[in-house]
Amino acid sequence: MPENQHIQAIIEAVIEGEAEDAAEATLSALDSNTDPLVILNEGLMIGADEVGKRFERGEYFLPELMLAGRALKAAMEVVKPSLLKKYEGTDTKVKARVVSATVQTDIHDIGKNIVSSMLTAAGYEVTDMGVDVPIKSIIDKAEEIGAQVICLSALLTTSMPFMRDLIEILKARGIREKYIVLVGGASVNETWVNHIGADGTARNAADAVKVVHTLVSA
Amino acid sequence: MLNYLEILDRANTGPYLAEENWDLEKVAMTTKKLVKKYKLEWNKEELVTDDASLSEAIYNAGYELAVTLGSYSRTTERVIEISQDEIDGGIRNMPQNVVMGEGKDARTLYARHLNDERAPLFFGGSPGTPVPERFFLANVMSYMQEPLIDLATCGTLVEVDGREVRTGNPIEIVSTRRELHYMRQGLKRVGRAGMGMLAAQSSVSELGDLAAAHPDYLRPCDSHLVPMLNELKMDHRNISRAVNSLEYGMVNASLPCVIVGGLGGGPTGSAVVNVASYLIANITCLADYHILHPIHMRHIATSTRDVLWVINATGQAFARHAPTIIVADIYPKSGAGTKELLYETAANAIVNAVSGNHLEGCGSADGNAPNCSGLEARLMAEVALATHRMKMSLKDANDYVLKLLPKYEHVFTQDGNPGKPFDEVYDLQKLQPLDFWQKMYEEVKTELKEMGLKV
Repeated sequence: MPENQHIQAIIEAVIEGEAEDAAEATLSALDSNTDPLVILNEGLMIGADEVGKRFERGEYFLPELMLAGRALKAAMEVVKPSLLKKYEGTDTKVKARVVSATVQTDIHDIGKNIVSSMLTAAGYEVTDMGVDVPIKSIIDKAEEIGAQVICLSALLTTSMPFMRDLIEILKARGIREKYIVLVGGASVNETWVNHIGADGTARNAADAVKVVHTLVSA
Repeated sequence: MLNYLEILDRANTGPYLAEENWDLEKVAMTTKKLVKKYKLEWNKEELVTDDASLSEAIYNAGYELAVTLGSYSRTTERVIEISQDEIDGGIRNMPQNVVMGEGKDARTLYARHLNDERAPLFFGGSPGTPVPERFFLANVMSYMQEPLIDLATCGTLVEVDGREVRTGNPIEIVSTRRELHYMRQGLKRVGRAGMGMLAAQSSVSELGDLAAAHPDYLRPCDSHLVPMLNELKMDHRNISRAVNSLEYGMVNASLPCVIVGGLGGGPTGSAVVNVASYLIANITCLADYHILHPIHMRHIATSTRDVLWVINATGQAFARHAPTIIVADIYPKSGAGTKELLYETAANAIVNAVSGNHLEGCGSADGNAPNCSGLEARLMAEVALATHRMKMSLKDANDYVLKLLPKYEHVFTQDGNPGKPFDEVYDLQKLQPLDFWQKMYEEVKTELKEMGLKV
């Protein structure tokens, strides 16, 4: 099978959210001596990008996004060893490590899940801690995995103060500058971002990815 | 009826399943299969359908989803298995009449049928909207004083005595009790002390809810929310709310806010999940009635085409096949002081009135800011009552909604159309709309009359 057909199969598997097909197509491509970096950039990332676009256009919904995330993960497990072997020491590692969580007392997860899925699809290594996560645990996890970005979500107005608490604790521990702290949720806006001293927010998942890109690259 | 202790036992002993697998492999995949199996499709030009076979298919798909999946405990990460017999028992036991409030102000919520001769009832208030303490009382009174409003609800207090309210913090107890204090005070001041309430909206965790179960605050003749988690899930915190009502006697309003575009996929799958949610909530929420509040994945509002379709589909499915008490939240995108809010409210009111639902509203400006007032609730009731009086057919209802949509669909942008806060649209002393807001209301009402609505 020509290289472009392998790549096309990978793209389609990601778009269709077929984890087994994505892994198999990736393996076939590697067996045919396709460069792992080509698999990553011209296969997996292109597929992920298309999934994001379809979601934004309202053609895809949350399940398709989650399935695409699974397909990407399955394919990455196959391609990662070859990628590391061939490009060790070069700039092929994940763009940044991200910890995402819905803050303590809030149990809403859909928005956070979408952002986590889209960041994963965009090449970030995301540790999604779930909902109702104590701020101390979020900070501990960020320290443990060497994260650069902390994404906090809260739908409830009365849970939003915990976002400020996290930033204050980072300051008190002298580690505020280590992290980009992004906040999101239905009631979160720029005024709130400035009020609590966060680094940014976004109005939807696609914008969140752009904001992370911008801040990580700065 | 399934004993509640049995539900708790099953939450502790049911099969273990990672939450992500429940979401994706159980809810999303099963719903997708059922949408295909029942050949469900939606039409963005037919938001109120008169296709009885579609309604039947949606009900049957939702029933099959509930029987296939049961529920899930996020606390224990276990499936709460529920048998078909138990689902059927829940359907048989769905209350057909629930008396709320007391004395001359009492009202009987009832399970509406399609083309029901009885008019829908109206809850007035902006459910769950953050409202500052300085005008909380005036705001709730602006709804309570409206003669067409039957029952009261309210926003959420986000600060008390100048202090920020935090979920799960002891101050949540203070804020919930303060909210109930204002609600009871407001009802007395408008001369409707016995009016029933859906309140304790400031209780975001179970803490305030438990603290408000006292005759001075939330009476046994009032109702409170027992939320489900997206989708078909419960946790011990929300189960505690239901358990707390067992002996005290409060009316349980189940609140499954199905996300349209979420795990159920598009409008068809979301309607299926909404039907299943009520059948599960009969058991896990001990529901006396159900809140209908699908949330648009991007726009939140209930006035988008796809959410209006889900509201109609869910309401009709039950009104035709298993009547139960459904109270629909109206959450327009636009806020007070805008004409679009009134158009959105009118579209929601028509859809709900013909779909077998009672109405609650309005959570203006997506319920995101205190940009809400009693005036839009007045229009909500007027339009729904006109729809009822005219014995409007499903087809005519659809035609009216299609005429209203172009008047407000431009608000579905990232910036929305938030309008103005309550204290900038009402005279807080006289509790009447300011002239400009009253004028907008009258102009929109004239337009509605010109369209043929007998408001």
